[in-house]
Amino acid sequence: MSDVPVRPPPPPPPLPAGWTEHNAPSGHTYYFNKETKKSTYTRPVAAAAQPPPPTPLPPPPASLPARPPASLGAESGYSDYNDPTHQQLNAFDPKRQMEDLIFGGAQNLYSNRGQDHARGGLRGGFRGGHNNFADRPRQPRDRPKHRQDIPGCAPWVLVRTKLRRRFVWNKDTNESFWKFPPDVMKAVIEFDRVEREKKERRERGEPSDVEEDDAMAEIEAGLAQAEEDVEIVEVEGEEGMEDEEEYEEVEVTDDEGEEASHPPKRQRTEEPPTEQPPEDDDLAWQLAQMEEMEQMGGDHEQEEYFEEEPLSEDDCKALFKELLDDTNTNPYTPWDKVLEAGALYGDERYKALPNMKARKECFDEWARDKIQYLKEQKAKQQKLDPRIPYLALLDRYATPKLYWPEFRRKYKKEPELKDMKLPDKEKEKLYREHIKRIGMHSSELKSDLTALLKAQPLAALNHSSTLDTLPSSILIDLRYISLPPSSREPLIKTYISTLPAAPEGAAASAEEEAAVAKKREERRRRERALAEREKSVQEEKRQQERDLAYGKGRLREEEMEIERAMNVGKEGLRAHLGAE
Amino acid sequence: MPPVRTARASKKAPPEGFDDLEDTLLEFAAAMKDAENAPHDGKKKYEMVWPIFQITHQRSRYIYELYYEKEAISRQLYDWLLKNGYADAGLIAKWKKQGYEKLCCVRCIQTKETNFRSTCICRVPKEQLKEGQDIQCVNCGCRGCSSGD
Repeated sequence: MSDVPVRPPPPPPPLPAGWTEHNAPSGHTYYFNKETKKSTYTRPVAAAAQPPPPTPLPPPPASLPARPPASLGAESGYSDYNDPTHQQLNAFDPKRQMEDLIFGGAQNLYSNRGQDHARGGLRGGFRGGHNNFADRPRQPRDRPKHRQDIPGCAPWVLVRTKLRRRFVWNKDTNESFWKFPPDVMKAVIEFDRVEREKKERRERGEPSDVEEDDAMAEIEAGLAQAEEDVEIVEVEGEEGMEDEEEYEEVEVTDDEGEEASHPPKRQRTEEPPTEQPPEDDDLAWQLAQMEEMEQMGGDHEQEEYFEEEPLSEDDCKALFKELLDDTNTNPYTPWDKVLEAGALYGDERYKALPNMKARKECFDEWARDKIQYLKEQKAKQQKLDPRIPYLALLDRYATPKLYWPEFRRKYKKEPELKDMKLPDKEKEKLYREHIKRIGMHSSELKSDLTALLKAQPLAALNHSSTLDTLPSSILIDLRYISLPPSSREPLIKTYISTLPAAPEGAAASAEEEAAVAKKREERRRRERALAEREKSVQEEKRQQERDLAYGKGRLREEEMEIERAMNVGKEGLRAHLGAE
Repeated sequence: MPPVRTARASKKAPPEGFDDLEDTLLEFAAAMKDAENAPHDGKKKYEMVWPIFQITHQRSRYIYELYYEKEAISRQLYDWLLKNGYADAGLIAKWKKQGYEKLCCVRCIQTKETNFRSTCICRVPKEQLKEGQDIQCVNCGCRGCSSGD
């Protein structure tokens, strides 16, 4: 059976006069007769009588005939049949095997259903015709989600869709099949086995090696190539996407049914008219879309696929350090106090590191670096410091009337005089010299000050400098304060106005700017990655919830069905047959 | 007669970098004062000194880490801090020795005054204690300061 990968369905017979084709809101195609005002899901055939043949209600999936919903006794028999331990049995059942393959990992999720009627796959709840489509929760449209190379089967790629179904896709010929070709099937079985082992290992807590990266890159390249020759055919929901989703395997199993000479007990209500070809194209198109999205999203889009490690350890640390920087934490405070202050908790970046120990280590590292940095800054600053305030004090209070001891006693409360950084000897020397200079002639003092100003380099003193931003080399000079402020300030102002503008120090700053920009870029990347991680976690959670709700719904449906089956009246089996 | 030295006059000005730590040290001093003046109602006699030991430990640890691990303060400042009683030099001396990296207080390794010539219960590693045994030593309220924990 598997050497015929895709059988194009026969073209639909033309509709008889009076019938028109419509799409129901649920996405299904139905047919309406204007004259008789009748509507049906069954495609009316021209040769048959004008009113469509009385066919059963909507879609009796073809999996059903082989296994009608039976009494509990029969169920138990089937459970035996479907018991995973009976692998040999299953191996001889190509249909089952097929579905095993198609649903691959999804089986774990729906395992309870799979046990009872594995055949049903995703459609398990829909047999028996008790469902009406309106009740059914609308499924999201299926689309490819995850790709994996099949090892040892080079151009073939295993694609998992959003609904956790799987199909294979040939990168070279750009074909995709729900039904796996025989050679591919072997590889997929092998691959599944490996995957399962890996998963088990992971559950046992052993580290699994990451080997997907290169595979992913290869797929990437393949897809980029494929995109060029994919003819984009957009198939929207007109054909009833849901139907397609539901029926793809129906067709497969149905064919098998016929081949295995099972007389089909049910008539299919709908012959999906042009199902397979658009399906193929559609998938190709979706793959192309996927590729496009990836290209748009850049590198961090990729991280969605490797949810395990979107952020490296260094990144996490850097994030945490940025948080510490941003909260203006004092690096001299102990870690306990930082925690007590509680400024860190509200931030997302606090959770970047997994535990308290890591955080403390990170804090220590950060504090050490920060303190080092602060020290350097201070060392740079302090070179100009100590004499400037002292000279300013002298400028304010010093008079020739006071000797040094008197002056010191009088102003001993001033912080400048208390300052230990400038030794007393130095202070005294400066004071005496200053007093001596105050007695000098003002023209001499003026010429001294001009000489001092002229000695300044243009980088330090230029057109843009003001009286408040004089360079320290002027401020620590006695010649600067010898003149009283009233005559000194106009002199300096006029001198500054004659100066040219500052020379451009652009070359030095360009490098710095580049460094800053790089840092900022890094930071932005990390923050994005964090947000991405957050998002993917949310997504996963939502997915799980949805799966759970979906599974519950299914279970409920099945329970109801069983209840209906159990509810045998006096008529016994006839009631059931009659109902259908 | 020798000149009378007041506490203020005899104290040297702190070396450079002290103002960075000053706030934290003041906080410790305030906490210590609170602990000293805390009401004693309903507490055991030995329980009253626990917070004092704990604050001493924290402050010593703070200075120890600043000097030995973060290398944030100078030797001069460190010595000055020790001399002025901001940290317990004896405790820090123990922390540098293997097996005593987390020691809570020097009293807990004093074997002379105990009944069986042994150290305090808090020095016993967790795995050697009975399952679920919750201890708190009498000396300083330590819940376990073995290096392996």
